[in-house]
Amino acid sequence: MAPGSACPLPPTPPPSRVLCCCTRWSSGHQEGEPSGQRGPAGPHTSAQRCQYCTLVLFQKTPEIYSVELNGTKDIDKTDKGDGKEKYRGLKNKPSNCKKNHQIQEIKEELDLNDHKLSNEDLEKKYGTNIITGLSSARAAELLARDGPNALSPPKETPETVKFLKQMVGGFSILLWIGAILCWVAYGIQYSNDPSSSLDNVYLGAVLVLVVILTGTFAYYQEAKSTNIIASFSKMIPQQALVIRDAEKKTIPSEQLVVGDIVEIKGGDQIPADIRLLSSQGCKVDNSSLTGESEPQVRSCDFTHDNPLETKNMCFYSTTCLEGVATGMVINTGDSTIIGQIASLASGVGDEKTPIAIEIEHFVHIVAGVSVSIGIIFFIITVSMKYPVLDSIIFLIGVIVANVPEGLLATVTVTLSLTAKRMAKKNCLVKNLEAVETLGSTSIICSDKTGTLTQNRMTVAHLWFDNQIFMADTSEDHSNQIFDQSSGTWTSLSKIITLCNRAEFKPGQENVPIMKKTVIGDASETALLKFSEVILGDVMEIRKRNRKVAEIPFNSTNKFQLSIHETDDPNDKRFLMVMKGAPERILEKCSTIMINGQEQPLDESRATFHTAYMELGGLGERVLGFCHLYLPADEFPETYSFDVDTMNFPTSNLCFVGLLSMIDPPRSTVPNAVTRCRSAGIKVIMVTGDHPITAKAIARNAGIISANSETVEDIAKCLNIAVEQVNKWDAKAAVVTGMELKDMSPEQLDELLANHSEIVFARTSPQQKLIIVEGCQRLGAVVAVTGDGVNDSPALKKADIGIAMGIAGSDAAKNAADMVLLDDNFASIVTGVEEGRLIFDNLKKTMAYTLTKNMAMVFPFMLYTIVGFPLPIATVTTLFIDLGTDIIPFIALAYEKAERDIMNRKPRHKKDRLVNKPLVLYSLLHVGVIVTLGAFVVYFTVYAQAGFRPSTLIGLRVKWEKDDVNDLEDSYGQEWTRYQRQYLEWTGYTAFFIAIMVQQIANLIIRKTRRNSIFQQGLFSNKVIWVGIASQIIIALILSYGLGSVTALNCTMLRVQYWFVALPYAILIWVYDEVRKLFIRLYPGGWWDKNMYY
Amino acid sequence: MVIRKEKKSCGQVVEEWKEFVWNPRTHQFMGRTGTSWAFILLFYLVFYGFLTAMFTLTMWVMLQTVSDHTPKYQDRLATPGLMIRPKTENLDVIVNISDTESWDQHVQKLNKFLEPYNDSIQAQKNDVCRPGRYYEQPDNGVLNYPKRACQFNRTQLGDCSGIGDPTHYGYSTGQPCVFIKMNRVINFYAGANQSMNVTCAGKRDEDAENLGSFVMFPANGNIDLMYFPYYGKKFHVNYTQPLVAVKFLNVTPNVEVNVECRINAANIATDDERDKFAGRVAFKLRINKT
Repeated sequence: MAPGSACPLPPTPPPSRVLCCCTRWSSGHQEGEPSGQRGPAGPHTSAQRCQYCTLVLFQKTPEIYSVELNGTKDIDKTDKGDGKEKYRGLKNKPSNCKKNHQIQEIKEELDLNDHKLSNEDLEKKYGTNIITGLSSARAAELLARDGPNALSPPKETPETVKFLKQMVGGFSILLWIGAILCWVAYGIQYSNDPSSSLDNVYLGAVLVLVVILTGTFAYYQEAKSTNIIASFSKMIPQQALVIRDAEKKTIPSEQLVVGDIVEIKGGDQIPADIRLLSSQGCKVDNSSLTGESEPQVRSCDFTHDNPLETKNMCFYSTTCLEGVATGMVINTGDSTIIGQIASLASGVGDEKTPIAIEIEHFVHIVAGVSVSIGIIFFIITVSMKYPVLDSIIFLIGVIVANVPEGLLATVTVTLSLTAKRMAKKNCLVKNLEAVETLGSTSIICSDKTGTLTQNRMTVAHLWFDNQIFMADTSEDHSNQIFDQSSGTWTSLSKIITLCNRAEFKPGQENVPIMKKTVIGDASETALLKFSEVILGDVMEIRKRNRKVAEIPFNSTNKFQLSIHETDDPNDKRFLMVMKGAPERILEKCSTIMINGQEQPLDESRATFHTAYMELGGLGERVLGFCHLYLPADEFPETYSFDVDTMNFPTSNLCFVGLLSMIDPPRSTVPNAVTRCRSAGIKVIMVTGDHPITAKAIARNAGIISANSETVEDIAKCLNIAVEQVNKWDAKAAVVTGMELKDMSPEQLDELLANHSEIVFARTSPQQKLIIVEGCQRLGAVVAVTGDGVNDSPALKKADIGIAMGIAGSDAAKNAADMVLLDDNFASIVTGVEEGRLIFDNLKKTMAYTLTKNMAMVFPFMLYTIVGFPLPIATVTTLFIDLGTDIIPFIALAYEKAERDIMNRKPRHKKDRLVNKPLVLYSLLHVGVIVTLGAFVVYFTVYAQAGFRPSTLIGLRVKWEKDDVNDLEDSYGQEWTRYQRQYLEWTGYTAFFIAIMVQQIANLIIRKTRRNSIFQQGLFSNKVIWVGIASQIIIALILSYGLGSVTALNCTMLRVQYWFVALPYAILIWVYDEVRKLFIRLYPGGWWDKNMYY
Repeated sequence: MVIRKEKKSCGQVVEEWKEFVWNPRTHQFMGRTGTSWAFILLFYLVFYGFLTAMFTLTMWVMLQTVSDHTPKYQDRLATPGLMIRPKTENLDVIVNISDTESWDQHVQKLNKFLEPYNDSIQAQKNDVCRPGRYYEQPDNGVLNYPKRACQFNRTQLGDCSGIGDPTHYGYSTGQPCVFIKMNRVINFYAGANQSMNVTCAGKRDEDAENLGSFVMFPANGNIDLMYFPYYGKKFHVNYTQPLVAVKFLNVTPNVEVNVECRINAANIATDDERDKFAGRVAFKLRINKT
């Protein structure tokens, strides 16, 4: 696939890892062994294990320090260590070329060296001037050469091709054949007798009309749903601030060209690939490109050979979070990194959705049946010495009778109805058929950040007074129940409030606190909101405690410090508050505050470590807080603090408490995950985060359930080496990207198959593709969520790609089949439910449709073989297919689920929409009853008009002769051709109405497949009754309204004939109730196996 | 998602089919074990047995609503149709005078058709009725059958009776007889108590010219009221349908002539747009002379 995909590349750590680690304050989740300390949750399977755990816990304590001190290097070490321990010996295998090709492609294509060039070289290279920019003329020239700075949209199928596909797809081709045969028949007739009737021409025309109408309708439906998406994905045109002709201009970013000098500021989307020339506190969010959610500092220094990792590059579609920068455009449009990845995504082919396969299967069955019956008939009729012409017409009749013309168009309607319903529940379905695919999903590979979590740091735990308190992490923080009476809390809250640079953006007075926009980084935001919720107006508190000096956080100090005047007018002391990495803070402290009293620290050190370990083990980011009241004598009110010389004490402070933060799971997620599990869906978490954090969130979200353990857990608890543990004893597994990289596809398959709860941590977005492929090799239907551009190949590859509506990039939305408008995992589960429901309901629709085929094919059999006058004409069958049956089809889509469909296993790929019991039950049971009922009506009409059933046998030939105008009936009366014709039409109408009446019963019984109608509620689905009313009204119109239109072959039917088939309709209902009763009584029994569809 | 469709080799397909037909491991024949087959066959036997019974029952009930002598509804037969004898393909009466075979089949048909009209048979089976009035035989509460029919003697057809006719109803001489009959409709009082007759004419002006003169038997093409009403073939066993014979005397040879005959009766409309045979009959006549 890739041009020259030479391999293997040296396993460079993904850039994200390096960058993210150095900005971490706390080491809590960088601790080496990913499972040593667990939160209160996660009880062990045996008491013995727990004992071991406690031991281990304490033994491990010193390691925390080392981890912290070594910072980034340590991650590599531990990760590698993990890999070694877990899959020993794999490390040295040559890295698998095939597996990594995706990553390599992306990396290889980055043959950029602009980041290495000096500004002067750049100017030369791009013929521009850093100060004055390009000239407008030059820019226009370049624009003409390179095209606009926009990603070329994925190739769309031309509308005409889409339209034509609708015209020949499905049953259309059969109907075309039918129509052509009609005209051929007329051609033959015409050559023999120019005055022959035009009936066949009309029939052909009707068939073509049907094809065109249903095709147009289906096309329209699809176009409509595509438009929803189109309007959704259309974005407000972006502007870019560019220097041209030595002037700053705002132009649409589409007009940017290589060599332009652009200025970006916080909040902007980067308009193209940019080499930075100057920068002030610029931070970018590269998550859409690399999957790394941490903001990354950008400056104009060349720091890394890899253009993705060097600091002087910004990439198209990423966002500048804060600061300002100036840069030179070096790539635009499709040649940007994102553009290259997007084109990679388009290389992954579009696949057929399960429902498309199922419908195709249904079409094949029906087409196969109708063509083979047709051909058998043709042979029979020809060998019965019928003229070939007549045989052709019979053939057409059989085909048309068999084909449910209106069905496919209504399936589209049904799917779009569900799509609409899902859109209301925040699942926007781009591809209609994806609705059902979601229902058959067996594995969901979900992102963590934003999908499973709330995507914001939130204070989760507090530790003070030697106690851990839990904070409310729900979306609105409404319920903070921890003890706030302690004096320690008062001090702690003061530090939290004061030692914080984050501020609310002005003008949001009416916005709920949790929704307010904050200027500041994630942790400070969390603290700000936390304190605002508990203490009220933080800004006011800060105002009262005027800040006199401040040392902002930096990665060398690992603390933040500020000095304030106190709000107590009597207290002239300054308050120094400090927060930072807990061990750093602890080092500076000599006392600790317990219950508002300062005490020596010594005894509390152990409890501090335990608490710190525990919080760290929860995957939370831990911060320590301390303060010191500066003695008023040494530091009088006029004292001038100098942060550079640090003319104030920074040791022997008073430790106040710990606060830990996490991006908590959305409150709906644990429940959704449980529902997935009971629905037999495996939820795999794929995240770029650290394994500890990933695992903690996985536990909170229920992806790793409370009572399951990873290999590491078991090893730790039994106090044995990881490799001694039988891998398959562990239900759960946490696998890092590094480990994944070294796995062969077989090993990955084994891993996916044998662990029911899997978390992939530290993965690059490219590895998602590998995971998806692995799942698909196992035969799973895989749903994948993604937001970044890099996710788009995985989204494409997945059976159903789900893009995030809020966080998602355009490329991801383009590649996805579905967009989650609220980015919420729980919405996927709702979608799954809808998808399953639609599958069930489509099954009912198919069963409903198939039933009448018997009643439409049988008449042709008896007509040709027994020689009855034709019971139902080809055109009349169309009234059923395109008239009375249409609304009932759609009505079944509104049927509610019979049982909790979320307690079933996902549909196996072999579970067909139309399976054997369905076909047999519909055709050979209900179908036969409908046929008999219709024939009773037919015989009644003829008998009461003078032709007893016995007379009808073999009557066909004479009956249809135009020159026989004195055909004798059972009473000796003589009939002219027209009189017989009219009787025949009455027969058609009666037969049609008989089918319609029984289809009402058929519609009612199809409401459920297992439960009694009365359990389900006869009136539970109002639309069904609309359907029934529509059937009756259409029949009334055809019989009484249009009865005089000759071409329709309908007559005004006597009222009593409407009721003749009623006993059979009742029989259908009763019989089906009996069937369902036995199914419920003997589940799994012979009856169930043969009768449940 | 890639459609992971494994292409099966031909051998595999055959093997799969073999296994489907007879699976030795599970002892399944066509996907079912012996017991399963027995069950399913038994089920269908019972089920279809029941359906047959149900169908028979409903049909029986339905037939109870139908009387033996009068159909329940006759609304379609309000206007009886007219028809010709000999009945020819597309109602084209083509006579090649020199080619005996061309008309011999007509003659045979007519002989057979007119046999029941022989005077001897009529005299033996049917009554002599009073002309000019309906021959009603009401049931008066008690079924009164078989009902008697009125005589229509073959001799009433005069030159067209074919009795001792060397010209074979005129077919050998190019002066063919065509018989017009009116469709039987039970309990239909044709003519509404007034006399009625059949008239024939060329369809268009040139047809009228080419048609020449013709004679009708009985005279004027009269149909007597005594032949009505008809009580149905079960009760009116020996009912003899009245006929009108038309003998075309000098049809222009080698020309196709469109003839239309219609009945003139007070209660029979002959202008139905859709039913071209309601109260009338159109046929083509062609006498080929060399």
